[in-house]
Amino acid sequence: MGMRRYIAKRVAHALVVIYIVATIVFFAVRAIPGDPARVLLGGDASAEAIAALREEMGLTEPLYVQYIRWMGRILQGDLGTSVFSDQSVLQMLIGVAEPTLSIAGLGMLIALLIAIPAGITSAVKQYQWEDYVATTVSFIGISMPGFWIGIVLLIIFADRLGWVPAFGYVSFRQGIIPWLKHIILPALAVGLPYGGILMRMTRSSMMEVLNEDYMRTARAKGLDGRLIVFKHGLQNALIPIVTVAGILLGVLLGGVVAVEIVFGIQGLGRLLIASIQRRDFPAIQGAVILISFVFVFMNLLVDVLYTSINPQIKYGGSE
Amino acid sequence: MSVSDLVESAFSGSSESGKTFGIRSDLLERFIKTIRRDLRAKIGFLVVALFGLSAIFAPMLAPYDPMSQQFPILMPPDPLSANPLGTDSFGRDLLSRLMYGARISLAVGLGAVTFGAVLGILIGLFAGYYGGYIDDLLMRAVDVMWAFPWLLIAIMLVAIFGQGFWNVMVAIGFAYIDDFARLARGEVLAIREEEYTMAAKSVGLEDYEIIFEEVFPNTVAPLIVQFTIFTARAILAESTLSFLGLGVKPTTPTWGALLGQGRGFITQAWWISIIPGIAIMVTVLGINLFGDALRDAFDVKETGQT
Repeated sequence: MGMRRYIAKRVAHALVVIYIVATIVFFAVRAIPGDPARVLLGGDASAEAIAALREEMGLTEPLYVQYIRWMGRILQGDLGTSVFSDQSVLQMLIGVAEPTLSIAGLGMLIALLIAIPAGITSAVKQYQWEDYVATTVSFIGISMPGFWIGIVLLIIFADRLGWVPAFGYVSFRQGIIPWLKHIILPALAVGLPYGGILMRMTRSSMMEVLNEDYMRTARAKGLDGRLIVFKHGLQNALIPIVTVAGILLGVLLGGVVAVEIVFGIQGLGRLLIASIQRRDFPAIQGAVILISFVFVFMNLLVDVLYTSINPQIKYGGSE
Repeated sequence: MSVSDLVESAFSGSSESGKTFGIRSDLLERFIKTIRRDLRAKIGFLVVALFGLSAIFAPMLAPYDPMSQQFPILMPPDPLSANPLGTDSFGRDLLSRLMYGARISLAVGLGAVTFGAVLGILIGLFAGYYGGYIDDLLMRAVDVMWAFPWLLIAIMLVAIFGQGFWNVMVAIGFAYIDDFARLARGEVLAIREEEYTMAAKSVGLEDYEIIFEEVFPNTVAPLIVQFTIFTARAILAESTLSFLGLGVKPTTPTWGALLGQGRGFITQAWWISIIPGIAIMVTVLGINLFGDALRDAFDVKETGQT
C-alpha cells in the first residue's frame, strides 16, 4: 500500500471514530439527569413555562428525530446555540480555545525543551550523577498533580514575589509580554508532569539506540562521540518519543482543565465544567467533540509522521 | 534473565508436576526478591505501607474527629501544638483529615485500576486468543475509547451517574480499560503460538481453560507492572476530580477535596492546599518507584504509559 493510500485510509478511520464519538456524546449528554429547561428557568418556574421552553428547545421530539436533526446540522458545521448564553456554540468555542491552546502549546514546548536534552544526557551518562539527578527530578515531576504544581507556583511567584499576575488571561494581541506573564505559570503546571514522562521515554529509547550494533560500529570506526549521539542516535530515538508525545496529549489536555480553574482562566476546560453544571447540552456536545477532534487528529498526525520518519514500517499493518 | 528464559525455565520446571505450564510461583519469588534487593522497591514499599496502614487504621490513629470544628480556624502548622499540620477554615484538624482522606484516595485509586484491569484484561485475552472478527470488534471499541481523554470520560460518567465512592471509582477506571486491553492482547498474540499453548490445545483443553490457566499466567508480569503504575495515576486522577468538585462527595475529606478547599485561602493559609499535595506526591512517588523496580525485575519494556 502506498503512502497516499495509507494516509487516506487513516483519515477515513479517524472520521469514523469522530462520528462514533459524536454519537456517544449525543446520547451520553441526554443521560445526564436534570431537565435543561428547569435548570435554565430556576426552581420557581411554572410547569407551563418549562413545557413551553422544552418545546422551543426541541426536547419534546423523539430522541432519534433530535439525533438526526443534530447530525444534519453538524455536517453543515453548525454546532447549535448555547441554551445558557444564546450564543452560537462555535463562537463560544472559538472564544475559549485561545487561552487553552496557548497554555497547552507553551506547556508542551516547555516539556520538550526540558525532556529531550535531559533524557539524552541521562542516557549518555548512564549511572553517573547527571543521570541520577535527571531521573529523580523526572520521577518527582510525574508524581505531582499538575494543578497542585500550579498552586505552589502561584503562591511563590504570583503571591509572594509578585513577578506575574495570579489570575486571568490576556490575549497575545494585547502584547506578547503580558500574554506570556499570564500563561507562564499555567504552562509550567501543565508541562512539568508531561515533561517528566517524556524525559523517561527519551532516556529509555535513547539507551536502546545507543546499544544498537550500528552505533557501536560508528564508535569503533572512531567517529566523534557527540556527533554520533546527535546525528544517528537522536534520529532513531525520536520515533518512539514522537509517538508517546501524541499518546500523552490526553494527559496534557486533562491537566489543562484543572489548571484553568486554579488560575481563573476562561478556557475550554472551565466552559466544559460550567456547561455540565448548567445542563447546556449544545455547549457540552460542542466542547467534547472539539476536544476529541483535536485529540484524534493529533494522533493521526503523529502516526503519519511516524511512518514517514521510519520508512521500514509497513503501511496498513494493525498494531 | 529475560522473560523468555523465565518462561522456558518455568515451562520445563512445572511441566514435570504435570499440573500447569504457567510461571506463577516464579513471579512471586521475583516479587519478594525485588523488594529485598532493590532500593527503589524498598523505599516505595515502605512509603506505600506507611500511608496504607495509616489509612486503614485512621479511626485509631487519627488524633481527632476529621469533621469536628473544635479548634481556632486557620492555625499554621506547628509540630509541637495540638494540630501539628494546622487547622482549616472551619477549625478542623488537618492531620486527622489527611489520615481519613488517605482512606478514600487510596481505596478509589486501587478500586479504579482493579475495575479497569479486570475488564480490560478480559477483553484483551479474548480478542487476542480468538483473533478474527471478535478481535476486530473488540479492538475497534477500544479505539473509540481511546479517542476520549481520560478526564472527559470521567467527567461525563460522574455527570450521568452522580457523585459517590463507587461511581467515581468506575468513572476513573473506565478510562483504563483500553490500556489494559491493548497490553493483554499484545501479550496474548506473542504467546498464542508458543509451545505450551499448542500443547494445551493438543491435550484437548477447553478454550476458557487455556485462556485462564495457560495464557493468562504468562501475561502476568507486564500486567502487574502496568497495574502498579496505573494505581499511581488513578490516585492523581481522583485528586483532580475531587479538586474539580466532581469527586466522592464535596464534604468527604479526600486528598483532592482538601486541596480544593484550601484554594480559597492560598494567600492566608498556604498549608491547607500544600500539605495534602505533598501527601499525594509522596504516595504516588512511592508507588512509581515500586513500579519501576518491578519493571526492571520482570524485564518489562518501558512504553511511556507511566
